[in-house]
Amino acid sequence: MTTKPPSLGVRVAGDTNVGKVRTTNEDSMILDPIRGLFVVLDGMGGANAGDIASQMARDAIAEFVLHRRSTMPMPALLEQAIQTGSATVFAAAQANRERHGMGTTCVAALMVDPTHVLIGHVGDSRAYLLRGGRLQMLTRDHTIVEELVDRGLLSPEDAERHPYKNVLSRNLGARSETRVDIVEVELKPGDRLLLCSDGLYGYASAEGIQYILGSGDEPEHVARDLIDLALRGGGGDNVTTIVLEAPAAAPSSTQIVRTNGAGAWWQRRQRFLHVAKERGLPKNPIVRGLDPNEALELVALNLCQAIYHDLEKSTGVNVWTFAQTLAGGWFERGGEWAPLRGMMDILGESSRVVVDEIRTLDSQLGFLLDVAVSRALVVAELALGGLLAERLRQVDSDLIMLHTAAQETIEGSIDELLDTGDTGDRFIDRPTIPFLRPDRQVTNSGESAEVINAIEKTLTIARARTVPRAELVKQILSSLEAIATDGAGSFATSVLAARDLYGVRTVDDNGIMPLFDALDQARILTASSVHQIQASDITRARALRAISAAHQRLVGAATGLVLEAAAPFSDKLREAQVKTSEMRDQVAKAERKRAELERRFATNVDASLPWGSRGNTEW
Amino acid sequence: MARCTIAPMSSGAPLAASYEALRPRILQRLLDLRSTLDPSLGRLDDPTARAQISAVLDHLGNFIATGDLGLHRAFLHTFMAMRAAEAQSPASVLAMLVAIGDTAAQVAQDEGAGTTEGAALTLLLTRVTASTARAVNDLIADELGRRLAQWTEMQNTEREGRR
Repeated sequence: MTTKPPSLGVRVAGDTNVGKVRTTNEDSMILDPIRGLFVVLDGMGGANAGDIASQMARDAIAEFVLHRRSTMPMPALLEQAIQTGSATVFAAAQANRERHGMGTTCVAALMVDPTHVLIGHVGDSRAYLLRGGRLQMLTRDHTIVEELVDRGLLSPEDAERHPYKNVLSRNLGARSETRVDIVEVELKPGDRLLLCSDGLYGYASAEGIQYILGSGDEPEHVARDLIDLALRGGGGDNVTTIVLEAPAAAPSSTQIVRTNGAGAWWQRRQRFLHVAKERGLPKNPIVRGLDPNEALELVALNLCQAIYHDLEKSTGVNVWTFAQTLAGGWFERGGEWAPLRGMMDILGESSRVVVDEIRTLDSQLGFLLDVAVSRALVVAELALGGLLAERLRQVDSDLIMLHTAAQETIEGSIDELLDTGDTGDRFIDRPTIPFLRPDRQVTNSGESAEVINAIEKTLTIARARTVPRAELVKQILSSLEAIATDGAGSFATSVLAARDLYGVRTVDDNGIMPLFDALDQARILTASSVHQIQASDITRARALRAISAAHQRLVGAATGLVLEAAAPFSDKLREAQVKTSEMRDQVAKAERKRAELERRFATNVDASLPWGSRGNTEW
Repeated sequence: MARCTIAPMSSGAPLAASYEALRPRILQRLLDLRSTLDPSLGRLDDPTARAQISAVLDHLGNFIATGDLGLHRAFLHTFMAMRAAEAQSPASVLAMLVAIGDTAAQVAQDEGAGTTEGAALTLLLTRVTASTARAVNDLIADELGRRLAQWTEMQNTEREGRR
């Protein structure tokens, strides 16, 4: 392996953010393209020692690589640099009692040459590789639970519930020496490498990370967008990202579309408007009342521009926003689907005319643009579908309200007639809208902004403490937040949240217990997380009370769904029980008859037998 | 009511054989990527995911071969009803179908790079995905129309009850 600083040719960028909950940033990083060294460190230890630990390790690692790069083999260089970082932090912790116990995680990438990189890793900061659109994790978290799973002492299922699942088994600073995992990765053209602290993957889904990392944006934008993603997911921890991109071998189809394709498309915007006008866009009811040119500019030009920007950046966000704005406004005005789909058809036909014209000039570019523009229009359909589905959900919700009101009226009338205080029926005896059960009104939590804030913080922390794959628990925690902070105080929120959960974990061969186990885990997590927020005891108590009430409502609604799903089987069971009872009666009757016959037969036979009494077999 | 008006798909039948040849690789790619492609696919166990994806891929093959939008819509209607019975929202079904179509087009592009047939199949699959998305939106809109009618009816009943 070379010991010479590589001529890298890679593009790299990093970013860090304190997050939304913490007051100090205990993460540190190294971005040294000249030496090909990139490191993310996540400090820990309280009393302001976490940031000191990560900074000390950072400086020690950087200095070690600076002075020893030309004298050591690369794997040994990386391992010893990290060991030096650990020894430095350990020595500082021993020298100062206030800093005793401080430490830091470390994930480091050291470029060997433009196509080879070494990953060194201690703790739970991670390295990911994006290749061919697929995200792979290159590191394995060093937690006590993971080690137990590796040794076969704990099952992966039990690991997710283990109380020590977030406790690190290795870090820099706990001892003077630590075990460093080193892996070598061969980089292929266009590969992207991501180094990050747990503040990213704890608050952002793997799908989201993959989407942004694969967006084709510049590494500095990607590093920042990933941080924004974590902040939108709650931002409960410091978050640091480093994005490294291997040089591409030849212009990919994506690059061709981004450069030549986007330009060719934008040059033909007037043609696009012209075709849209010819196809009757200004006559569409959505733009009724507008001047034709104004209508064309408002709709066609905006879409043309949105497609241009999306082609340029290989995203779909602009077309998505366009479609949502157009359809959202139309639906708010009470508009129907037909004019909207007519409008989208005209825009689709106009884009096809433009792309066909480009194809006659350059068939390769025309083909790539055809695929890219068709995909952009699929994105528009996805946005419209989301709005339609949301409207459908809202109408469902309104139907529940109406249904509840109607039910109460009917029950009230029956009570008046029968003069009974309680009809005593169970919900499965009442007609309901499938999977939506409005059986009682609840009072609004009516909590102050301070308590609402405490609820949100508690649930953010609880989500952060959830293991990455426990999506169901995370969703339950999000549902609890929605219910506990719901200003309307309607039971519908709980029912809808329960229905969503039911969608995630329906009753199957494993039964309903995984769903209720997850509900229980969520309850335990929130009860312990509430103690970690900074608030007065009264506020904490109120937050916990509101979350507990929300939990109770959610469990009630989920139980309702399960019972409702089981209702047809209960009916069948009742029918079967009645039939069984009837058959038992018949069997009893038959047995009585048989006994009577046997008695008679035995009496008749006994008289003829030589031994005098029935059953005596002695001769 | 079959209302799909996305551009007609020419030369579907000759490409049907190419699609069939590629289908095992598309299925494998989808199974590999399913948890990152779409959350609802990721939540399914392997046999269920394989069955659901295979059903869609089988149908795509038929659609490419016949170009019959009525059958396409009927399949989507049944598929959505089945997913709704499993409590999947219409939006997640739409996302899942688009993810499957996109991946199929991506595999066709990767495997047929530089060939005319590969390019034609990629484009065809992209347009089929667009057509699928539109048909699903039509189905959701139809369902929405029915619910709105139910809502209006219930509101009228409530008003009459008050009187």
